[in-house]
Amino acid sequence: MTTSTAADAAPAVSARPSLLWRDVRFTVLCALGIALFPFVLHPLGGYSTLATQIAIVSIASIGFNLLLGYAGTLSYGHAMFYGGGAYIAAILMLRAMPQHPNLWLAVGGATLGTLVMAVLVGAVTVRLYGIYFALLTLAFAQMVYFIVEQAKDWTNGDDGLQALPNALLPIGPWNLDLTTHLPAFPLGPFGDLSDLRMWYVFAGICLLLVLLLFRMLTRSQFGEVLGAIRENEQRSSLIGFNAPGYRLAAFAISGALTGFSGALRGLFDGTVPVDSLSIDRSGSFVIYTIVGGVQTLFGPVAGTAVIMWLENVLSAKTPAWRLIEGLIFVGVIVFLPRGLATVLRQQRDKNPRALFVRSLRPSTEEPDPLLKAAGEGHRGGVMSIIETFKLGKLFGHFAAVRDVDFRVDPGELRAVIGPNGAGKTTFFNLLSGTIAPSDGTINYKGRDVSRLTGTARVHQGIAKAFQTASIYPDQTVRQNCRLAALAKVQGAFALQVFRRSSRLQDVDALAERAMARLELTGVADVRAGDLSHGDKKRLDIAIALATQPQILLLDEPVAGMSKDEARKTEGLIRRLATEMTVLVIEHDMEMVMGISDSITVLHQGTVLATGTPEQIRNNPRVQEAYLGGHSQAELAG
Amino acid sequence: MSAPAESPAAVATRLRVDKINTYYGDSHVLRDISLHIGAGETVALLGRNGVGKTTTLKSIVGWQKPRTGSITLDGEELVGRDMMTIARKGVSLVPEERRIFTNLTVAENLKIAQVTARKPGWTLDHVYEKFPRLRERLTHKGDEISGGEKQMLAIARALLQDVKVLLLDEPTEGLAPLIVREVENVIQEIKAAGITTLLVEQNLYSALAVADRCYIIDQGEVKFEGTPEEVRENEDIRRRYLHV
Amino acid sequence: MEAFFEALLGGLVLGLIYVAIAVGLTIIFGTLRLVNFAHGAFYAIGAYVGLVIAQRIGVGWAFIAAPIAVALFAVLLDRLVLRQFYDKEPTAQLLVTFGIALVVEETLRLIFGATTQQYQMPDALQGSVSLGFFTYPAYRLLFAGGVILMLALVWLFIERTNYGLIVRAGIRDRVMVQLLGGNIRQASTIVFALGAAIAGLVGAAATPIYSIDPATGFAFLVPSFVVVVVGGLGSFWGAVLGGLLIGELQSLTNLAYAPASNVVIYLCMALVLLLRPQGLLGESEVIRQ
Repeated sequence: MTTSTAADAAPAVSARPSLLWRDVRFTVLCALGIALFPFVLHPLGGYSTLATQIAIVSIASIGFNLLLGYAGTLSYGHAMFYGGGAYIAAILMLRAMPQHPNLWLAVGGATLGTLVMAVLVGAVTVRLYGIYFALLTLAFAQMVYFIVEQAKDWTNGDDGLQALPNALLPIGPWNLDLTTHLPAFPLGPFGDLSDLRMWYVFAGICLLLVLLLFRMLTRSQFGEVLGAIRENEQRSSLIGFNAPGYRLAAFAISGALTGFSGALRGLFDGTVPVDSLSIDRSGSFVIYTIVGGVQTLFGPVAGTAVIMWLENVLSAKTPAWRLIEGLIFVGVIVFLPRGLATVLRQQRDKNPRALFVRSLRPSTEEPDPLLKAAGEGHRGGVMSIIETFKLGKLFGHFAAVRDVDFRVDPGELRAVIGPNGAGKTTFFNLLSGTIAPSDGTINYKGRDVSRLTGTARVHQGIAKAFQTASIYPDQTVRQNCRLAALAKVQGAFALQVFRRSSRLQDVDALAERAMARLELTGVADVRAGDLSHGDKKRLDIAIALATQPQILLLDEPVAGMSKDEARKTEGLIRRLATEMTVLVIEHDMEMVMGISDSITVLHQGTVLATGTPEQIRNNPRVQEAYLGGHSQAELAG
Repeated sequence: MSAPAESPAAVATRLRVDKINTYYGDSHVLRDISLHIGAGETVALLGRNGVGKTTTLKSIVGWQKPRTGSITLDGEELVGRDMMTIARKGVSLVPEERRIFTNLTVAENLKIAQVTARKPGWTLDHVYEKFPRLRERLTHKGDEISGGEKQMLAIARALLQDVKVLLLDEPTEGLAPLIVREVENVIQEIKAAGITTLLVEQNLYSALAVADRCYIIDQGEVKFEGTPEEVRENEDIRRRYLHV
Repeated sequence: MEAFFEALLGGLVLGLIYVAIAVGLTIIFGTLRLVNFAHGAFYAIGAYVGLVIAQRIGVGWAFIAAPIAVALFAVLLDRLVLRQFYDKEPTAQLLVTFGIALVVEETLRLIFGATTQQYQMPDALQGSVSLGFFTYPAYRLLFAGGVILMLALVWLFIERTNYGLIVRAGIRDRVMVQLLGGNIRQASTIVFALGAAIAGLVGAAATPIYSIDPATGFAFLVPSFVVVVVGGLGSFWGAVLGGLLIGELQSLTNLAYAPASNVVIYLCMALVLLLRPQGLLGESEVIRQ
């Protein structure tokens, strides 16, 4: 393609050096920070033991933050991974290798063990949401706690495992004893280098690696999708992302990181107390992360450092230290709602004054090759693209939709109308897969898709735009469309934790096309939440379009728009209909009569009539339905 | 847009809605809607579904607060006040879904209306007289009665309180023809009792039979104001705004 | 045999404590849509107020002062902090109430110390009662009877008074209550204070049996959440059924195979969440946020 679009502003070669420089700079700064930390801590009353513990526990907080801040899911049971990791490592040390304690094996085994645990627990819990998810993780953690407490032969019960052997770290020909001190080197008020043991160096390196890993993860394709799911799960599912799958992956990674941290802590302390599995421990991760700042890379680290330091310093001076911790925590939640808002997925647009920015680009008249390829089976195609047989949906005893036989040919623009209680939105939800039918079947291109999930249907080519625009308010318009395109290109799930989505050229191209079709290129870089109502509705359609659908379901696309916006959007929809099949639910009769090839009238859940606009106009039964069951004649007399 | 009917100065305006604009989030649903109802009048609000009729009623009772405009009851401003306050001033909404408390019995549904009322309206005996079916169902739970009975109950609930303006949202919707007839009779009785009523109806026949005046709404705007006769005679208006 | 009946009655006593806390939790959730992780704090405050009053003035006064003090604290908490969280997501509510629980627990620790404390019942109520082939502490039976009586009064309040009518209607449909001119906010505050007072009263009354330390409140809260989940969020009888079930389960398992007694209740919670998330008597609307 040679026509100009933003996709040509290629980031490819020229940008890479600057990205690399930023990565190097980041690594160096982190390393420096970690290296200096214990010495900064020294005059503040901390010791190297505390510094090492902070470094280790920070890893768990970072892991926890992946779940809370990035996946938007609160777990109240992470102690099962932290304590679990510690116990596994300790038990491996004591039983599997008492003569030759090997740190790699102990920690590696623990991390693997907690990963498996997280996958098993996650598989079961991710089906639930919000508070039910939190309570279920709490339940599992409590079970683990009590089982461990009781399995005294293995775990020593309430006393915990103690006097663990010194772990050796085999590196090449050497066996490093991590408890050795560093060489002496006085640093004035900051203590002496020999205050530190090799443990801190090891923990610091681990922390650095985790920070780098995390940074990469959150910017990766995987991280991008995870963030989208957190911001708007409904939309993410209906552009084709497997939301439960992503949440499970996040849970598993989070659990493994926490387990890794717990293992390190246990081996460093030389003891594993049973509290490492307690509710308080689970709660502590919540506190560290929230106080430090969710959704930030360093927040959890800062939070861990501050709280643990406070505990250490204050516990010597006053018994009120935990109270202070609690007050800080409550204070952060109550007074810093903005920080919390993004965690807790509040999607209300904060800015009621919309920016009325109009698109500046004139739209092209030629049909788009990319879209054309998607819209196979034009007018005149033999087979209906969607066909339903006796489709029905019961809500309790109420039949919202019943006995619907519906057919639409490829390339048609079909309007679905009907008076109150007709079942139009329910019908659309059945077609898109948002709800499952109670009776009947839905055939798409000849195949029965009745049992297919909404996410799967998107990948088949059925896309929907919502009655209330469902978008990603904190992302730009372009990014909104890119996400939809990404779902199409990568599939429902991709564990691309290392690479970014920007390497996928198709994604950018699809997004640009979609924006252009809906005349949104002029606002491509505007934050979606700041758009006018009309633009948001069009963005919703663009998002659906970016998944390269063959059939587009539009639920009240012009509702709430001004006359002008409605007419403009109408025109855009009419042009879209030349490339693909479009089904529209609308109440704006002027629009319906103006652009439809054909109309289906639903009434009380069933099909009343199908025909051209003229036919529908002249159908007395349709008029009767709209008038509440009375004929025109009755009215006059 | 048809010229508004001249109303005689003798009938005092009870409820006046003046250029309200209501939004659902960013969606501009009501655009400069204005209407008025005189004391004792029964006014019908007509239009296809999705045009803003229910939103108009919700705006009046404070359920969906208008962003701009004014709504006055006997001169007193209602915009900005909460649902409870507006209800206590005598503006009573019988919602489209009826919203019977399904976990309470019929008797309790009636009782609660009496308990929360600032001033009593009809007596319980009067209600039983006009809605005899309810007396037979007193111990039934709210979800164990028929659609028609639910509608009667919802209306009876409103009447047990001292109502200045009664707002009825699609009272005949989803009911069998025989029950529709019953509800229509009830509305006639309410009219005969002199209660000021704003009636949203998609059933044109029912609406025209009882209304003194009509407004037609389309796409969030008032498109027509007139008498029932004017609606009956004007095929074009009906085609454009009421059916297809 | 004797041990079995002891465990059965023990389960009843424990279960009734759970019921009392769970009923408060569930009606607060029903009317305010608030998930209150701080409910254990109400228990604890009631217990300590009861302790102090019982030791200084008299046991009878303790039972009056405790619920009043807790109710006042609850209303204050509602006004100052919780009000802003009513419309927020349940996870936000869980977090802030968890924080409050922590603050209360630590404050109590500062004031009263970490050691377990108790007060004695007057001599008349000490000693055991003969129940056929075994004896059982008199006070525990009295306690059980008292809690049942209290729950009956709460039930009467909810089911037979005008206020209760508004509360019940509000649980189903807040908006309609307001459209009828009902003051749902006032009713909600009263429910909140009532739920707290119940927990406080039970806290004060249970101290002679279970003793009190700053962590006891939370220790009773977590199983109470299990009860609420098992019984169904928002259901009074669900809380009753769930509480008795969990209490007996815990007590009898303790008899049969002690190590499993705590595990089994969480297993129960996990099973319910997976197979029937709305609980035994709850309604299936609150699962998805």
